[in-house]
Amino acid sequence: MNDIWLGLGSGIAFGFIIQRVGATNPQKMVLAHLMRERYIPQFMLIVVMVAALGVFGLEAAGTGTTRVLPTSLVATGLGGVLFGIGWGLSGYCPGTCWAAVGEGRMDAIFALLGGLLGTAAFAQLHETLIPALYMPTNFGQITLSDWFGSPALALGVLLILFGGGVLLIGQLWGPKHD
Amino acid sequence: MEPNKQKPYWPIVPSAIALGGVMVFIFATFGPPASSSGFVTTLKGFLQPIAPDYVAGKAHYRMMPGPGSWLMAFVLGMAIGGFLAGRSFNQEVHDVPQAWQKRFGPNRRRRYAATFVGGFLILFGARLAGGCTLGLFLSGSTQLAISGLYFGAVIFIVAMLTARLVYTHKEDAHE
Repeated sequence: MNDIWLGLGSGIAFGFIIQRVGATNPQKMVLAHLMRERYIPQFMLIVVMVAALGVFGLEAAGTGTTRVLPTSLVATGLGGVLFGIGWGLSGYCPGTCWAAVGEGRMDAIFALLGGLLGTAAFAQLHETLIPALYMPTNFGQITLSDWFGSPALALGVLLILFGGGVLLIGQLWGPKHD
Repeated sequence: MEPNKQKPYWPIVPSAIALGGVMVFIFATFGPPASSSGFVTTLKGFLQPIAPDYVAGKAHYRMMPGPGSWLMAFVLGMAIGGFLAGRSFNQEVHDVPQAWQKRFGPNRRRRYAATFVGGFLILFGARLAGGCTLGLFLSGSTQLAISGLYFGAVIFIVAMLTARLVYTHKEDAHE
């Protein structure tokens, strides 16, 4: 029961913030993808930097729950390609469309319905697709810490990578005349 | 567009610190946050009373909790948060975004059909990869997971190419 209230409260805070920053607005998402507006992609990268520092702190304090998803070269990549097409086309992702429905966006309701159908289709094909696409190239729960030998060094690499991304987006993304 | 003197959107740095804080809170009280899993949970809730045997026989429904779970409460909370934020916001929402309208006109049905197809693809893709923008890219990268970084790079590149194909006018197109 406690989980329900924690989930609900976390969701409300999450949905409120992403609406206020403009992530639920597909117009802003499309402009971000067209490299005409820097805000949403920079926001996402800074969120990861803040959260990674916080989770590093939680782990150092011996608390919190982490669960690293495995990397499957084919399934993670192919899933990403399908996802990217849908994201670029609609301007919505699975999380933002819930908040956008709450905000009263009609096109988000259709994205949500399409999402339920997509989920049902995948669930139907799970037994075929996971052994065929996911398992053969599954590298397991690998992290940057495995690659760099130490969690602190890996965190530093992430912060430099994402901080560099924020600066690069600031340079390359911007309003362009139509 | 209507003139709007007030800037409606929050600056990104404080917002990112706030959302990063919410994510750390979720890691501390639950585990990695996710939202595409909420679709499985929702669907499981719809299907379980109608087709209990089908749900019980399918691995994808077995691996997710039903509606009485954190995941379900989280996505409902997202909708409530979006609702509260939208009610107290000084800019109207458009059912058809301006960029879409500029390219394909104001027809609502065409836009709704496109977001329906887009919604199908983002969820099918997310379920295949194991998560979405939040559950795989944001949560994964936060935990320094290669899966999150890899998925993030792919979705940004493909979405940017797709948006360029879908939304860009041809140079010699007439208005």
